[in-house]
Amino acid sequence: MSRIHDVGGMQGFGPVEQEADEPPFHADWEAHVFAINRALIGRGVYNLDEFRDAIERMPPQEYLASSYYEKWLHAVTTLLVEKGVLSAREVADG
Amino acid sequence: MGEAFGPGDLVRTSHEDPQHHTRVPRYARGAVGTVVEAHGDYPLPDDRSRGLPAEPQPVYTVRFAARDLFGEGDHAVTVDVWQHHLRRVDHSEQESDG
Amino acid sequence: MGSEHHGPTAAVAARVRHVEALLEQRGLVDATELDQALEAFLTSASPANGARLVARAWVDPDFRSRLLANANAALPELGLSMGGGLQEQRLKVVDNTEHTHNVIVCTLCSCYPLSLLGPSPTWYKSESYRSRVVRTPREVLKEFGLVLDPAVEVTVWDSSAESRYMVLPRRPDGTDGLGEEQLAALVTRNGLIGVAAV
Repeated sequence: MSRIHDVGGMQGFGPVEQEADEPPFHADWEAHVFAINRALIGRGVYNLDEFRDAIERMPPQEYLASSYYEKWLHAVTTLLVEKGVLSAREVADG
Repeated sequence: MGEAFGPGDLVRTSHEDPQHHTRVPRYARGAVGTVVEAHGDYPLPDDRSRGLPAEPQPVYTVRFAARDLFGEGDHAVTVDVWQHHLRRVDHSEQESDG
Repeated sequence: MGSEHHGPTAAVAARVRHVEALLEQRGLVDATELDQALEAFLTSASPANGARLVARAWVDPDFRSRLLANANAALPELGLSMGGGLQEQRLKVVDNTEHTHNVIVCTLCSCYPLSLLGPSPTWYKSESYRSRVVRTPREVLKEFGLVLDPAVEVTVWDSSAESRYMVLPRRPDGTDGLGEEQLAALVTRNGLIGVAAV
């Protein structure tokens, strides 16, 4: 089924917003999500293709409303639960 | 897995709209393009994302005319496509696309 | 759509700390390891790397040929590599000429030559850029202040597999007297992506 991430050629998204002198991460938590994902893939908890798949499975409205690293966080937590590393309850009790 | 291609070959991408992860963008489905080059063998993401065994297979850079993808545009778009998602195009098949 | 919705950031930050703590308890992440990985990523990956490749290609035609023919093999000549990430990726360098202009995108996600360009800008990862540059590249380039001659052919490279792309911009006029370091200083990240002339 066509997924929401597959936006090449899709119309209506508007001007490309540029931020001058943008830092690599806009908040500490983004850097941590980046590093955690790298560590988990490096340890073989999941692979890069599974990670992308988890982002793509986000409900379309949630995908479009999420920032880049919010998408990553969604994928990481989804996979941690699906792989049985953490329980959904544990993740939610945050 | 499909056949091997070389630079200059005419190929058509799969029409498939799978329920699983794939790396053929929607805008390039079923499109006819020209192979630019093969650039190494990699496991198919469609399978790797589902935990299926995936032997490395060739990936090709394929060039498409924007007009063939979107019905407009004077530029070209290249997409990197796994061999699994490509079929050779005959001259006759290409001409019938008008 | 296309703009970044950061939402209630404090809640997200707390959630990340919580997940990280759980993972530490499980022995799956180590706080020190994470910091070191971040440090390595942020210091080694930079557009200065891509700029050095460009400057060398501008002054050395043989290097330029090698870079265009097999970029991965040419990188070590400048002490660079496409490793340092999850896996070593194939690099393809595409050169702008008088008649052709190249621009890079990843319509499906955000694939980017991190080690040569550093962390990618948010706009590169936005739905707006990803959706529009494959369909109306000239319009998008104009938003970046780059107006191309209509006779110039544009190629958009969609990084949909394991290859990462970098543009080799044209050497600006009037730079004959400049040394390699000075030439490298002219090259911008946007030029390496293809949304600027250099």
